[in-house]
Amino acid sequence: MSEQVPIETLHPTIRMLSDEQIQAIHNTSLDILSRTGIVMKNEKARRLLLDAGAWESDGRIKIPEHLVMSAIGSAPSRIPMYNRLGELTMPLEGGNVFFGSGSDCVFTIDVETGRRRKATYDDVYRIARLTDGLDEMDFVMSMSNPSDVPPMDVYIHGFVGMIRGSVKPNVYTANHRGDMEDIYRIACAVAGSEQRLRERPFLMLYAESISPLLYPDESVDKLLFCAEKGIPVTYPPSPNTGGGGPITLAGALALGNAECLVGLVLTQLVRPGTPFLYGMNTAALDMRSAIVSYGAPEWPTGMAAWCDIARYYGLPVWGAAGATDSKVVDAQAGLEAAISIMTAFLTRCNLVHDVGYIEYGSTSSMEMLVIADEIIRDVRFIMNGVEVSERTLAREAIHRATPGGGFLADEHTLRNWKWAQFRPRVMDRSRYDEWAERGAKDMAARANERARRILAEHDVPPLPEAAEEEIRAVLRRRAGK
Amino acid sequence: MADILQKIASKLYEGEDEEVAELVQQALDSGLTPKEILQDGLIAGMDQVGKDFKAGDLFVPEVLIAARAMHAGMNVLRPLLAASDSPTVGKYVIGTVKGDLHDIGKNLVKMMLEGAGFETVDLGTDVAPEAFVRAVQEHKPRIVGMSALLTTTMVNMKSTIDALQEAGLRDSVKIMVGGAPVTAAFAQQIGADAYAPDAATAVDVARKLA
Ligand code: B12
Repeated sequence: MSEQVPIETLHPTIRMLSDEQIQAIHNTSLDILSRTGIVMKNEKARRLLLDAGAWESDGRIKIPEHLVMSAIGSAPSRIPMYNRLGELTMPLEGGNVFFGSGSDCVFTIDVETGRRRKATYDDVYRIARLTDGLDEMDFVMSMSNPSDVPPMDVYIHGFVGMIRGSVKPNVYTANHRGDMEDIYRIACAVAGSEQRLRERPFLMLYAESISPLLYPDESVDKLLFCAEKGIPVTYPPSPNTGGGGPITLAGALALGNAECLVGLVLTQLVRPGTPFLYGMNTAALDMRSAIVSYGAPEWPTGMAAWCDIARYYGLPVWGAAGATDSKVVDAQAGLEAAISIMTAFLTRCNLVHDVGYIEYGSTSSMEMLVIADEIIRDVRFIMNGVEVSERTLAREAIHRATPGGGFLADEHTLRNWKWAQFRPRVMDRSRYDEWAERGAKDMAARANERARRILAEHDVPPLPEAAEEEIRAVLRRRAGK
Repeated sequence: MADILQKIASKLYEGEDEEVAELVQQALDSGLTPKEILQDGLIAGMDQVGKDFKAGDLFVPEVLIAARAMHAGMNVLRPLLAASDSPTVGKYVIGTVKGDLHDIGKNLVKMMLEGAGFETVDLGTDVAPEAFVRAVQEHKPRIVGMSALLTTTMVNMKSTIDALQEAGLRDSVKIMVGGAPVTAAFAQQIGADAYAPDAATAVDVARKLA
């Protein structure tokens, strides 16, 4: 038989919104912007908007449709992200899905003692190193606000801990323009030069407005800084249902979309083409505990919806998964992480953060990261779909098989088993006796062991000396020396 | 007689604001004193709400609807309450500390306190120590509550306590703190009087302090 065109493999996707639903949400967002308006606390941004054709009434700034549409037009449809060695490892585009940790937790579960305690600089560094060693993790975030450094330097140390601990691209947070400038200095030193950093960005700012419709001075200032420099930024609002957003998801999406588009408009007014990652967070304000839930199904449901909206706009998209409200790494943690990770894959969210959060984002857990890494591997297998080809249809093997005899020793099995089957690393499939003999450990205990092993064995290339020098200079200046 | 008070309490629990207002009027017409109606009707109802919320049997919206009914009843009573049986358990000044813009938790604490009969003064977010000082001078509250959700801003709770100390006002108020990074140990360390992990506990603690 001559060579035939292979049968294409279907990779499963979901759609949460129909075209009509997307249009209705988009239209509502335009109404929110032009009729309800926003409160803008940053003077420079206020001027930018007014000069571009927005107007002020009832104490709000109202933004017309054409500003929004031209910003969507000038924003890049893709953001190629590099690691700090200058290699393209995270092209945020098309159907690519990349996972990473989250920022700024207050507490961490000590991997040695199992105790929940305040996070330190060392935790940022060590968790970054663990994340660097986990195959399914594509980027790092700080995972902690170190409590053992001066409060005004928290974000600098957070950034430094990340880049020392990992070469992977990072998503960072900051307090204000002063932090941004120092982080930028350090980043330029890592990349080699300002131009090199712009050409091969390995960092992305995560800042946010306050839902509903409030744009704080410093938060907007950080956004503008990125646009001025032409470096990547994401500005997802958090219209959490029942808290910052309406209790109903459609309303939260319409509000969040409007709010995110304001960030987009601002970046494109400062510098058309600024890499901007579209998205939002739709956690739920739980009406019993009054916590903002990171495990609620509202979040993945919302994520699949705003990913549909992002595709309608042709913008790369931000989301979250792999987090839990559970205080320990247990069945609830696994369940909430699996559902959200599966959804992130199915909806093709480009950059998925918060992996490894427990206790609704208050605490970071290395065990949770390791387990989520395993879940991602597992779900990726499902996303690969079912290859249908001569080698997988196993026509000849079936023909050969003794009825009732099986395929275990068949040539086809021996040739293909390695790629055809999923092999777990942390999940346990051993027989009872073997499992008992090995200490009868549950998943959390095994994840703990894997985390410690990676910490003991995984090496990360050091920062260039010029970067270490810049870090010292920045910290000296901050200490007033 | 007591029947109608019980009815006020249970209608309040169900969040029937119009009925509560009517019942309060009826109770007044029947000769009950405003103080009795307040204590054994409205506050009794709200107490039950608080208890059941804490036990997990009620949800936040149900508490807020009940609080609305409480206000409806209070609107009828307020003009009649003499200064002596002041409508409030005490004044409570509350705000989110400097540098911090989180206010969902603070607002919930405020609403629950109001439901429990406190008169609150909300200073908003990003409140500087001097602004807390001015508010204490102006409103002379029983309690000052500070909220912080950030590791970077919780230090401003200490600065605020120091500012109150310097202004000679520290001993005139009780200070409560709360928010995600705040712990009982931290509260003690900075010299606050109390800490509460959530809004329902905040009410219990405030009552003990007031
Ligand atoms: C919603 C939210 C926001 C919203 C706030 C909107 C608003 N209007 O408040 C937005 C999106 C604006 C936001 C911004 C930021 N946030 Co935020 N945010 C949250 C989130 C998801 C929920 C907080 C919340 O509202 N919970 C619901 C309420 C009801 O609960 P609560 O606040 O805990 O309050 C209860 C108790 O704490 C207590 N309580 C609270 N106050 C008081 C006061 C008194 C007197 C008493 C007695 C009790 C009490 O009772 C309340 C009711 O039960 C948390 C994570 C989480 N899941 O908790 C992060 C979180 C608090 N944020 C965080 C961060 C880092 C930020 C930013 C710095 C991010 C950034 N880089 O831009 C900015 C800071 C902006 C600023 N300067 O303040 C971190 C803090 C980490 C740290 N170590 O400090 C958290 C933990 C998330 C994380 N892991 O990254 N955030």
